[in-house]
Amino acid sequence: MINSQHKILLRLLLLICTIFIVSAFIVDGFFPTFNGFIKIQLSPARLLSDFIAIQGIGSAFFNAAIVALIGIGVILISGVKFSGVTFAAVLTILGFGLFGKTPVNILPIFFGVFLAAKIAKREFKEYLVIALFGTALGPLVSFIAFELGGTQLPMLPALFLGAGAGVISGFILPGVAMSMLHLHQGYNLYNIGLTCGFIGLFAASFFKTGAYTFTSLPFWYNEAHPLLVYILPSISILLMLIGIFLDKNKILKNWIAIQKQPGRLPSDFFDLASLGSGLFNAGLIGIIGCLMVFFTGSNFNGPVLGGILTIIGFGAFGTHPRNSLPVMAGVIICAILFHLPLNSPGVILAILFCTTLGPLAGQFGIMMGLLAGFIHMVMVSQTGSWHGAINLYNNGFAGGLTAALLVAIIQWFKNNTTINPNAMLKKSVNMFFSKKDK
Amino acid sequence: MEKKDLILHLIGEMSNFILNKNPKRMVISLHQEEDGFHLAIIDNNKHTDEEVAAIERALNSEKRPELAGYYGAMTGHDLLGNARLDLLGWQIKHADVKKSDGGIKIDLWLGSDQFEAHKFNIPKKEE
Repeated sequence: MINSQHKILLRLLLLICTIFIVSAFIVDGFFPTFNGFIKIQLSPARLLSDFIAIQGIGSAFFNAAIVALIGIGVILISGVKFSGVTFAAVLTILGFGLFGKTPVNILPIFFGVFLAAKIAKREFKEYLVIALFGTALGPLVSFIAFELGGTQLPMLPALFLGAGAGVISGFILPGVAMSMLHLHQGYNLYNIGLTCGFIGLFAASFFKTGAYTFTSLPFWYNEAHPLLVYILPSISILLMLIGIFLDKNKILKNWIAIQKQPGRLPSDFFDLASLGSGLFNAGLIGIIGCLMVFFTGSNFNGPVLGGILTIIGFGAFGTHPRNSLPVMAGVIICAILFHLPLNSPGVILAILFCTTLGPLAGQFGIMMGLLAGFIHMVMVSQTGSWHGAINLYNNGFAGGLTAALLVAIIQWFKNNTTINPNAMLKKSVNMFFSKKDK
Repeated sequence: MEKKDLILHLIGEMSNFILNKNPKRMVISLHQEEDGFHLAIIDNNKHTDEEVAAIERALNSEKRPELAGYYGAMTGHDLLGNARLDLLGWQIKHADVKKSDGGIKIDLWLGSDQFEAHKFNIPKKEE
């Protein structure tokens, strides 16, 4: 069972990487793609560095596929079978390979986590998930090596410092990641986003104390290329069809079983329901993500594709329509109230990545989901500057802070009162609207 | 994780699971050996056969070192929401779940490869 799941997921992920590589060469040709790929390695890679805007579709797709293949290689070497969490990790790495992760900036982080495992006398596979998601700090390596290097620092020392910073941050990731889990008790799916944001705060403060001013990088691709528009809806439909093929007439029953899960970390839908229904759910979440992009009038570019790929991945590990839609609605309501354009980069990325807070809606109800989405939108518009945009999972950071706040309040209510916070929220909203009507 | 911490976390998660149903009686017994330990948890709540099967399935789930090494840190610690027996299942060696005295008895065994299971009378699987 586990072996056949492993084989199916491995082949599926390799197929998706192959689609990206073949598309890259068809769109831009071999040599321009490869040249652009080399130049991407020298990019500072901080948010928002849309590699499609920087070097073109071919190079960005090729970089994403190579980064994802490295992730797959690390999983295979560590001897872990493919499952919901590794499926989510590879698709997240693939997605962020379009706007921040490069082979050059992720390798020092893997090495740092490997060293931590050695020192703790644990097998690397026990820290594998932390290593894979921890590559969110890749821009810390690239920033020191290629943004400070050659301007503030001589090139060679900058390269060593960048790699060293990557190894150190990888080394401290396991300890910090496990502590961060306790802050939100598993209600923020992108826990490493919170972890990397926390580490990023300290790292960025060193540079700010040294009088370095972080300026935001404005690389955001604004054209509508058919490949960018159609690739993820096609992959999503493919996942849904594979799911239906695997589960046959049990697909609906198993998919409904997924909707009943709160989605709190760690919820592997392949284990809790079935491989087929997990893939179907992942594809459906991908379609919902694409529709959100379409209806808000946003562009399908590197960061947006990265966001959709991430939620597709987490469609096997915590995200499903029942727990995600209330949070997405909360973000949209907040954006409308604050007059933020729905197709602006910050808002569309928040609509996609806010699903990190799905478990709050899944466990405590729709009203809690709406509130979480609302607060998330407010927070995520501020947090990027706190860590100098070196943590790629900025939404995971903001989501973690939001979840920590709400979980602390819910815990207090639970321990000290008989009030159900979700029911109380519902009552308050009803009272507000009934007063307005009068 | 130190052995003492591990035991505390396992007891925490199991107690959370049992106490969710507000039993009148809960007994936890620990027996330690050099290379492993046995934890028995008894309650007096009524459990259906499906419930017992689900508990046994969760506790004997496939070993997942990549999840146990990271998310296992939440075992018996983060108790807001439902109790999660699969978190335990990834970390223990074997579990038995039986109905007894109007309630349930859960036996958990932990240990390394050198763990002398016979000291704890792990029932042999029927051929």
